[in-house]
Amino acid sequence: MTLDQNHPAALLEARNLQHSFGNHRVLDDLSLRVGPGEIYALLGGNGAGKSTTLNIFLGFIKPTSGHAVVGGVDPAAEPDRARTQLAYVPENVALYEHLTARENIDYFLHLASAERDRATVIDPALDAVGLASQARDKRVGGFSKGMRQKVAIALALARNVPVLLLDEPTSGLDPHATAEFNELLEAARSRGIATLMATHDLLSAAAVANRIGFLREGHLDEEIAKAQGARFDVEALFRRYSEKRERLPA
Amino acid sequence: MSGATIRIAREEWRALARSRVAVLAGALLVLLILTATFISLQKQAAIDEARSQYQAEQVEEFYNQPDRHPHRMVHYGQFVFRPLAPLAFFDFGVDSYTGDMVFLEGHRQNSANFAEARQSSLMLRFGQLTPAFVLQTLAPLLIIFLAFRALAGERERGTLRLMLAQGISGRQLLSGKLLAHAGVAGAILLPALVALALMASSAGASLAQAGLMMLAYTAYLLVWTLAALLVSTLLPRGRDALLALIALWMVTVVLLPRGLPELAAATETAPTRIETEVAIGRDLKSIGDSHDPDDPYFSDFREETLARYSVDDVLDLPVQYAGLVSIEGERLTSQLFDRYASEAFARQDRQGTLVRNFGIASPLIAVRQLSMTLAGTDLDSHQDFLNQVERYRYGFVQELNRMQAEQIPAVDPGEDPRIDASNWREIPGFSYVEPDPLAYGSGRIVATFAILALWLAGLALLYAFAGRRLVWIAR
Repeated sequence: MTLDQNHPAALLEARNLQHSFGNHRVLDDLSLRVGPGEIYALLGGNGAGKSTTLNIFLGFIKPTSGHAVVGGVDPAAEPDRARTQLAYVPENVALYEHLTARENIDYFLHLASAERDRATVIDPALDAVGLASQARDKRVGGFSKGMRQKVAIALALARNVPVLLLDEPTSGLDPHATAEFNELLEAARSRGIATLMATHDLLSAAAVANRIGFLREGHLDEEIAKAQGARFDVEALFRRYSEKRERLPA
Repeated sequence: MSGATIRIAREEWRALARSRVAVLAGALLVLLILTATFISLQKQAAIDEARSQYQAEQVEEFYNQPDRHPHRMVHYGQFVFRPLAPLAFFDFGVDSYTGDMVFLEGHRQNSANFAEARQSSLMLRFGQLTPAFVLQTLAPLLIIFLAFRALAGERERGTLRLMLAQGISGRQLLSGKLLAHAGVAGAILLPALVALALMASSAGASLAQAGLMMLAYTAYLLVWTLAALLVSTLLPRGRDALLALIALWMVTVVLLPRGLPELAAATETAPTRIETEVAIGRDLKSIGDSHDPDDPYFSDFREETLARYSVDDVLDLPVQYAGLVSIEGERLTSQLFDRYASEAFARQDRQGTLVRNFGIASPLIAVRQLSMTLAGTDLDSHQDFLNQVERYRYGFVQELNRMQAEQIPAVDPGEDPRIDASNWREIPGFSYVEPDPLAYGSGRIVATFAILALWLAGLALLYAFAGRRLVWIAR
């Protein structure tokens, strides 16, 4: 494992996280840090421990040992407070179908006790994600997955929190929607948001991430950082990713 | 209460308001309550009017009897009717099953005392369209229908994680849902409570009784609200929650309230009407025959009477001996009937106690008993009516017997002795005094509220615990 100890003050940090369900160890000494304006892609196959890691940061699971920190708050000790520091976009964005896009955002912002003025908060966030104005007052029941994700990202931006957690964000998106989504992440990065993205979409990770961590059987096998202004070598990444997947037990 | 809690409740209401099925179901139930209230009020007015009219006619008919022998008037008898309690419209209780007309005559206690319906279990009732029936039986179904997806639906949609990810606590979320569905229960209750309040303030009913009844139904619907939300929180799918809640409704609202009286009737067997009549007839024979000069009891009675008046022959008595025999005979038969009535009441009480003890297993049993008590239509108030009727009957018959003894000549009364018709008006009419449920039923009222409070506290504790575990449930 490679950990950049000289990384700027981390907004999201895992320190030697371990977690077991019964005798099954799901996370094994996982450490990672995500600083402001960074996008960290946590790559791994099914059962690698990506969702468990996100659940620990969300405070939904207490780690068996080790610590997690979200915006300076330990989610195991203060889960509700830790969640006020982050925005979360699940794999399948669940919204209230009887509400419009604006109403959904307004509702979740109210739950988060965040500022929710339509003119200064909600509409600018929807502008930022590029949701068409005619769609904003439509009930989200008829929205595509891409449109729902735009609403969820708009909510994350509107909440103005320092940390963004994404669970398989590009799963099920077509290439155009994926490209649009990547642009949204760039927008988040430019705002200084620390983003942790659990994914198995290598291309998307390579396109937007500053760093990529390979998670295998709960252990961070390798972490690769992108040099300033450089691009990831996708072919090399693919080979490494494939090798690691092949080493997984059948 | 936090802003988030109130907003969650508002959004729950908005979701329900935007659901055509929910709105339709809610509107139907409110309509049903209004209809039940209207029908019950009409029924109560009709019953009251009919009973008052018949009672007045009966009294007048009795008073207008011509000169007669008092003993003929003893057998002419009279009918008495029980007026309905002011809050009976809300819950007719056992009234429809017991009958509230009793024919009073000498030598026996009639009708309702040993009616077939009263000797079977009085708890076997299901289906009168009254506000009480709608609130006890149908309102929980609507609460279940509207609340079963409150939390399970959030889980199924995936919005539960998203909600919690905004930083709200499980307690806030569950409080919001509880506020929303308690509001729904309040909306269901409102028309019935308004009707109850109006009746209580206009019909001379006790405001305390009406207030306690409102409190009981509020607690009862809150029990269902909490149960529905708890099950919705604990079970992962709305379908599972609905099935579990329907099963709970069937057990606590249908099975137990119908099955327990059967159990009570089986463990506390009551004789049939025919068996009772045969037993009474046998006992009456054993008391003695006042017309048989050799009957040992009445032979002794004659000797005691002669000694008391210091005469040697019944013809020397200052009063008519047959009248004294009638007085004594009535005393003896009334004692016998009182004994049978007391046994029947005691048996019904034991059956009722057994059923009530299971109120802990079914809040419906608790609230039903409380509702009948506070409406003045429970078995106790009916028994009190019968006791008042019997006291009146005994006094009425003995007064006629006294007239016979004092006014019919002991010697040479003639072939057709009669007394003046004006005597009938000296006998006061039956005047029923409504018992005060808060006095005679205070212990039971407190016990029933304690049961409802226990249900509420238990469910609230489990719900609070579920709130703490909601994050675990959500993962």
